[in-house]
Amino acid sequence: MDDPMRVYRAKRDTAHINVTTKYDIVGFISSGTYGRVYKANTKNVKDELWAIKKFKPDKEGDVVTYTGISQSAIREIALNREIFHVNVVALREVILEDKSIYMVFEYAEHDFLQVIHHYSQTLRTSIPAALLKSLTYQLLNGLLYLHNCHILHRDLKPANILITSKGVVKIGDLGLARITYQPLQPLFAGDKVVVTIWYRAPELLMGAKHYHKAVDCWAVGCVLAELASLRPIFKGDEAKLDSKKNVPFQKDQLLKILEVLGTPEERDWPGIRSMPEYANVKRLDTYPNRLYEWCRNRLPSNSGYELLNQLFAYDPDKRLNAREALLHKWFHEEPLPTMNVFDTTSDAQLPPRRRISHDDAPSMMPAQATQALPAGQFSQQAHLQSQTHGSAGSFASLSGGGHPRKKGRLA
Amino acid sequence: MATDFWASSHYKRWILDRATLKQARVDDLQYVDYPEQLDFLNIYFASLIFKLGKRLQLRQRVIATATVFFRRFYVKNSYCETDPFIVISACCYVAAKAEESPVHIKNVVAESRQVYSQEEYGIKHFPTDNSKLAEMEFYLVDDLECDLVVFHPYRTLMSLCGREAVATIAEAGELGIGINDGPRYWGTGEGKLELEEGPLQMAWFIINDTYRSELCLLYPPHLIAIAAIYLTLILNVTTRATLQNQAQAQSAPAPSTRRSSRTSSGTQKKAPQDIVGFMAGLNVSMSLVATIAQEIIGLYTLWERYKEDAAADSGRSAFGRSASSASAGTKRSAPSRDPSVFMGSEELSAGGTPAQPDDVVTPQYLTQLLARMREARLADLAHPASGRPVAVNKMLERTQAAG
Repeated sequence: MDDPMRVYRAKRDTAHINVTTKYDIVGFISSGTYGRVYKANTKNVKDELWAIKKFKPDKEGDVVTYTGISQSAIREIALNREIFHVNVVALREVILEDKSIYMVFEYAEHDFLQVIHHYSQTLRTSIPAALLKSLTYQLLNGLLYLHNCHILHRDLKPANILITSKGVVKIGDLGLARITYQPLQPLFAGDKVVVTIWYRAPELLMGAKHYHKAVDCWAVGCVLAELASLRPIFKGDEAKLDSKKNVPFQKDQLLKILEVLGTPEERDWPGIRSMPEYANVKRLDTYPNRLYEWCRNRLPSNSGYELLNQLFAYDPDKRLNAREALLHKWFHEEPLPTMNVFDTTSDAQLPPRRRISHDDAPSMMPAQATQALPAGQFSQQAHLQSQTHGSAGSFASLSGGGHPRKKGRLA
Repeated sequence: MATDFWASSHYKRWILDRATLKQARVDDLQYVDYPEQLDFLNIYFASLIFKLGKRLQLRQRVIATATVFFRRFYVKNSYCETDPFIVISACCYVAAKAEESPVHIKNVVAESRQVYSQEEYGIKHFPTDNSKLAEMEFYLVDDLECDLVVFHPYRTLMSLCGREAVATIAEAGELGIGINDGPRYWGTGEGKLELEEGPLQMAWFIINDTYRSELCLLYPPHLIAIAAIYLTLILNVTTRATLQNQAQAQSAPAPSTRRSSRTSSGTQKKAPQDIVGFMAGLNVSMSLVATIAQEIIGLYTLWERYKEDAAADSGRSAFGRSASSASAGTKRSAPSRDPSVFMGSEELSAGGTPAQPDDVVTPQYLTQLLARMREARLADLAHPASGRPVAVNKMLERTQAAG
């Protein structure tokens, strides 16, 4: 008897519209553990830009075979189909084709990491207060939406927070995000390690089995501090999983936090005693809280310091949540946050456009596109782009790798 | 999103009308002997999904999601042009991931083969190869339009009638412990109905049963939950007694208002609750609820004639129910499945034995029916002039394909 799904497959395959029939691939943006991201333009429509994230298909030798869709892809697809908010990257469509998954997202020209690089490397000055505040405000606004939807992002970091050319902040990369509403399994059961190490909240570093939205709020604190100082505030070294995949004690990262925020007081955080790594933390040297001094040259505003201090509360239950943070007085003081974060930025100071390049792994390109664009044409395009002085950020950085921050590929 | 049904893909794209469902079955209808067979197939597929889900140790909510995926897939496809068994496996596989409790693809293939090869089903063909299932997963997710977040009536049931003490029954994880439910747009938000464990479990089981029909495609989950609560209130002995007492007391001027029931709830269990007031206080269309209740009763009537091997169905008996309890001549374990309570009708003989033995439908019969349907369909597609009219609406197909 022949394949009972033959008729179905034939029908479906005929109706399918290819990625490359719909979009022109403009170039390659970045790559990560789960796949690669391309800049694309709708065919025959001028300046309708998209970022297409192509999930890596699994290979057995040279033969690409179907394997199950990864948990991460399912999450990102499922969540993105439900959410709509100005400060969250919008998914336009998903194309399942030739054993690969393509997610078509709205395109964003910049990201926080790229802005940080731009100010630290090119302009060599700190980010102006108005821009700093607008970026933080819109980030919190997007986070509040996610949290109201009972979604934990679990991987907030500068590379994952995008900015459009119109100056609108967009939270991206929901590959690690999860719905926390009525989970059938505890959160830690699915993913042993969440959040890139530098942005990881102390309760996670101390092995908490139960955590909540406050882990994202800690990460916002880290991002705010990084925007203010142009370098990561807690730049620790990650201890790797041992051969048995046990999660080690993240001593260095915790020390980096303690050096700035001081040793946590048990009366401030009663829950610390029940943390799995409590004994290890007890053995560390004691430090005083120096956050105020840290802020003096970097975030020279009293209310700015207060906001940061409250986002860095050790006790997750006392940490400021997204709603409270948005209502913080820092945002109600001059300069006020703006709808377009670049409102007060002169054209000369604008961060450069996202750099794109030729894909150095052509096998990951949609087959037809590689044929359609001769190599010469492509490299010329890449060349033109590289003249515009771009800093290579990573778009919707494909998280999950061991690197604290993804560096975009240089052309 | 996770709380707001009205902003969800479920509400926006997957609550369908009857005309759409009818259109979806047009092709299949040509190849069955009588339309009711399609309803039996609905029961059959749901019980297969349930059985496979149990073997994969999936929670009830995951099984429910898998069933909804299956129903949605067949809004766009025909039984006679597909292999529903691999679709079932793919639905379980995707649902487990979508509900964050993944199972390995190998296990799904292995367990599927185990379940399907059982004598009572007699399903001969199932691939040994993981990649066949993975391929089906791709098509499935595409046909589901990537809408993988599904709402279920269990949540409404628990937020309306749940008690903390109830956390021990069936699915502790289903309860939103310590999580704020958010605004309840369709209710008045006034008070809860306190159900004892027995009636609460009955309502839960009735909800389980609704997945054997296409109700999940037609109505929002909160309405299905309220219909299940409504049926429970009428069927359950204790709640029915309370209702009757209240009806009698109504003639006398009683101060029992909704407000009083709320203040009494939680403190004193003995104080009778104002059940009618609770139902009236829900800001939903009661006529819709009644319609759904009717459809559930209709499903039970039909189900009486569907016979599955009880011995092989241990998973379901753990839920205090067995589809074949009537056929085995034993007493009915689940009163919820006794349609005579509503019908009081003569069609159902007193002992609950099927009215006409010829009418009994078995899984094996349905497996054979499916094979016949597919063969006939293939023959028709190969030879369109073979007498049977092939009603393919090309225009419609093109529009659907275009989105």
